[in-house]
Amino acid sequence: MNATIYLRAASTARTRYLRATSIARTRNAVRIGALGAVMAGFILAASPAHADRIEKHFPVQNKPKITVRNSSGRIQVKAWTKNEVMVAWTNASGKTVVETEQAGNRVEVAARASEGGVSADDSKTDFEITVPVESELNVRTDSGNVTVDSVHGDMTFDTVGANLQLSDVDGYMVVKTIDGSLVCNRCSGKLEANSISGNVQMIEPTLDSVRVQTSSGNIMFDGSFLSRGIYIMKNFSGTIEVHFSSSDSFDVNATSLKGDVINQATFKPDTHGSSHPASKWGHSLFGTMNDGHAKVELSSFSGTIKILKRD
Amino acid sequence: MQCEQFEQILEQQDDGALPKPALAHLEACETCRALTADFGAIHDMALELGAEEIAPPERVWISLRNQLEAEGLIHDEQAAPRSASHASRGWWAVFQRPAIAGAFLGLALAAAATVSYLSNSPQTALDSQLTLQQEASSVPSADSVFKEEVLTVGIDSIPELQRQDTAVTNSIRRNLQLVDNLIAICEKSVREQPDNQMAREYLYGAYQQKAELLATAMNRSMTGGLQ
Repeated sequence: MNATIYLRAASTARTRYLRATSIARTRNAVRIGALGAVMAGFILAASPAHADRIEKHFPVQNKPKITVRNSSGRIQVKAWTKNEVMVAWTNASGKTVVETEQAGNRVEVAARASEGGVSADDSKTDFEITVPVESELNVRTDSGNVTVDSVHGDMTFDTVGANLQLSDVDGYMVVKTIDGSLVCNRCSGKLEANSISGNVQMIEPTLDSVRVQTSSGNIMFDGSFLSRGIYIMKNFSGTIEVHFSSSDSFDVNATSLKGDVINQATFKPDTHGSSHPASKWGHSLFGTMNDGHAKVELSSFSGTIKILKRD
Repeated sequence: MQCEQFEQILEQQDDGALPKPALAHLEACETCRALTADFGAIHDMALELGAEEIAPPERVWISLRNQLEAEGLIHDEQAAPRSASHASRGWWAVFQRPAIAGAFLGLALAAAATVSYLSNSPQTALDSQLTLQQEASSVPSADSVFKEEVLTVGIDSIPELQRQDTAVTNSIRRNLQLVDNLIAICEKSVREQPDNQMAREYLYGAYQQKAELLATAMNRSMTGGLQ
């Protein structure tokens, strides 16, 4: 709001100034330029979002470990090729203090209220963090979105309601959230995710170990099952949706105690010698696709399990 | 009939009589006779367990109470009657001490694990029942403590959390209610189908989720939201 007012004022002042000096426009070009620069500086200074942006740089060696503690606000983590961690933050209210610490390859960033009784809105702090591609991350926040792009390394995330989006990451990822959602785009490595009411989506993953559990959230896996991979997905009442292609090779064990199991695959009986007597409780499906190189376990209490053919 | 076929029939058979070919095999096969006897014992035990409320062994609460008394955090009610407000907060007051809170939640998880373990081990359940008969104690019954102090506790009992970010508090409150509902649904299922292992696993998982959710709530309240 303030920035808009200052911009209008600056524009009006500049227009008046130009009218008054139209005759000597050429001669005064340098002076107008100077005035414009002063105005621009004034506008920038009046804009809290720009005024509070602070940036720090930490030189690191290979594979640093970065820990971020925040309460509310956006956290964006990106990778670059420099051996340096860059942390920039913005706190519009100015009521949050961000403390940073470096000890060798360990960089810690924590936001805390500068005074008591700071409201959630005032404590909102947005972070932009750029790290070497090979980095470890440890992020804890309550609300606000967390995005991580192209980082390779182990990562842990602990959130209450914050949504998490991981793209092109590789490593051992552990996610714990209460009702935040997780979207994993082209993730590689291992994923452990635990939520109560959040949804979990894995899109085009190349994960060889998946352990995902949510109570009322939905789970969606749309990717290939890697040879020797283990994929365990469990919920209470949401939908579990797994997409397969005809070239996939996996054993499946799907059970919903009070819900349905919808299957579009043609499975043959387990070829690995295990017998799977039909459970007298709920709906179950056991079978093998191709050589059964991966193991897929899907389990729900009252939700629907869908095993769908990829288009 | 082969043993494997017999096992499948046995597993699918409820309380009815076995078909004739299976009976013939049973007569001839000692291994399958032993298996049938085990199945019968497990089934009977599961019915007994299901008829009772799900609760951890009494000794869990005895050791917890002893520890809290030793640290002077709780006193015998007759010696030091509680005030009205203290009484309403119950054992939850000890959660103001982080270390004890952690220990309590650890025990809650252990209790939940025990519930799960009991479902797999009827003999252990019998042993614990025998032990209980020998232990004379004035502590509240395991069932009442478990119900009142673990299952019915909510974030209202964590005063600091009320002053935190409303969205966070609401999120925790909403999810706590959700987990309580899951526990209720799972308990009903276990009562109705005592030998349903999957229902028991979900019940165990729901207990564990509740303990973890409470731990998160306490953690957030102790660190004041902003860390």
